Amino acid sequence: MSARLYACLVAGLCAGPALADDRLTVVGAVDVRWVHSTSDLSYLDGGLGKLRFDQDDTGLRLGRAFVVSRLRVADIVTLHAVVDAYGDHDRNPVDLSEFWAEVRPFPTSALRWRVRVGAFHMPISLENRGPGWSDVYSITPSALNTWLGEEFRTIGTEFEARWLGASSGYLGDVSLVAAAYAWNDPAGVLIAARGFALTDRPSTLFGGLGRPPITFYHEIDRKPGVYAGLSWRHHDRLEMRALRYDNRADPVASTVAGGTAWRTRFSSFGARLTPTANWTFIAQYLDGDTIVGADEADEDQFRMTYHAAFALASLEWGRERLTARVDRFGTHQSSGFYYGPAADDSGHAWTAAWTHDLGAQWQLAAEWIRVTSRFPPRASYGELPLNVESQTQVAIRYRFTAAL
Amino acid sequence: MSLLRSSDCERRFGGVAAVGFLIAIVVTAACRAGELTVSVIDPTGHGVADVVVVVAPAGPATSPATPTSPVAIMDQRDRAFSPRILVVRVGTNVEFPNNDTVSHQVYSFSPAKKFQLPLYKGQLHPPVTFDRSGLVVLGCNIHDQMVGYIYVTDAPFFGKTDPAGTLRVPGLSAGEYRISVWSPFIADQASSLTRTVRVDAQAPAASRVQLVDALRARPEPRPPRADWEY
Repeated sequence: MSARLYACLVAGLCAGPALADDRLTVVGAVDVRWVHSTSDLSYLDGGLGKLRFDQDDTGLRLGRAFVVSRLRVADIVTLHAVVDAYGDHDRNPVDLSEFWAEVRPFPTSALRWRVRVGAFHMPISLENRGPGWSDVYSITPSALNTWLGEEFRTIGTEFEARWLGASSGYLGDVSLVAAAYAWNDPAGVLIAARGFALTDRPSTLFGGLGRPPITFYHEIDRKPGVYAGLSWRHHDRLEMRALRYDNRADPVASTVAGGTAWRTRFSSFGARLTPTANWTFIAQYLDGDTIVGADEADEDQFRMTYHAAFALASLEWGRERLTARVDRFGTHQSSGFYYGPAADDSGHAWTAAWTHDLGAQWQLAAEWIRVTSRFPPRASYGELPLNVESQTQVAIRYRFTAAL
Repeated sequence: MSLLRSSDCERRFGGVAAVGFLIAIVVTAACRAGELTVSVIDPTGHGVADVVVVVAPAGPATSPATPTSPVAIMDQRDRAFSPRILVVRVGTNVEFPNNDTVSHQVYSFSPAKKFQLPLYKGQLHPPVTFDRSGLVVLGCNIHDQMVGYIYVTDAPFFGKTDPAGTLRVPGLSAGEYRISVWSPFIADQASSLTRTVRVDAQAPAASRVQLVDALRARPEPRPPRADWEY
């Protein structure tokens, strides 16, 4: 009972009528880890290191503490909130990462629909399928999904129409998703300045990311962004996703406070194959560009293209899960002023991870990751452009679930 | 699988007979009657398990129907329906107890039965009466990957094949019977999945349904991991 009460208090949803019948469910987790890193100063501390933890962080660290709550307001209406603490010297030590309302009517035909309104991750990542968008295959998600967690949040409305194949004798379904959103005009600033990184450190809604913090959730040009995606699930063994994103930002718009709109567009594709009960294979690819400054007729317009891809294999048996992943990524500045060496980023990474369930509530996780990258701006820090960084983490995780 | 096996027919019905005289009369009649074995074989020669088999007399019914409970259970465990496929007679009440760790919202928009049934923890849920024959496809409004099937039949004899792909139907009077089989994993045309067979009261009859098309992939049960969210 005390755990339930605590969950309720943390979720901040105790007020109001008495709750019953599984109306409120809360998942909370704490991840504490021992870290050893050879990385240069992490970008989270103002450097150019591509990993979350650098040499100065070696030792015992908080990985993440979070609470995910889901409140059923009516049979078809739910409220969701994700509250996070990362212990990365953030401006807001505890912050909201996602918050949305979902309307999900019972299907009355093979075509079902649902609507989400609020602030949430767009449906691209095939790794982050745990509560609170956590990666279940490794501690650190791929470079591709790291970036999505850092710079993007749908703050608006998402509509999904899904064709349910079972009623027609087909074991699978197809869904179309479309969203309109605002407050994501700065998306692109981080990929242009830093390139890709591999961290389990998504941004939060209010506190920003890094030191000094970059904040991503501002509306600068009063133009909504859009995305549209298609997904296909076949026989519970294959899931494929494609999505086109365009924040439709005006690249010359800025605010008095110095905020700038970045026109960011990309296409993403992904597939997750589960051929047996033990094996999972995931591959994702993304490429696009981001633009800032004067219009296209002006040579000074800054444009950077980027791409990222990864392939992952995961084997599960009993309480164990083993995962291996290879990442590739790159950015290229194709026009605009060069204030120093071009911030073109290219690299690859290898990740090996293991998780061991110690029961329903405790889990051990270990991960080794090595990133090799060439990034010319390192020269201005007195470093060589080509760098190899590695990080080893061993985490103990506690998780609880409460329902009221 | 067999609802009534001829070899243990007397023994099993012996227990039932103790319950009531009327049932005992039915049992006695059944044990004297003929038996039909239906086999469903895939293109590679292996029996197909968990196939719905319904058997109806081609003419007027003369055999007592398979005794069935007026209540059947379609449970939910590990974010899946259990059993995945249930076959019941028209008029059966089906309970949805939800022995899972999470809530579900079961629904069907199949013509044979449309319903919506939220299954929240700690609540009692009334059974659903399936009063029309036909296939009812079940879904969960919270977990889109959950799919279940309730095959509602007005045939007097029915069941599902065992792991060897066979179903034995005892208690049939002599006569002609129409057999049809169904599974969501059978890809053959429905018209090729019916048979007519003559049952002789003196000797067991058999009918074999040889499938031509490869079976559709059957989702492997995969209990959710503790760190997953669907």
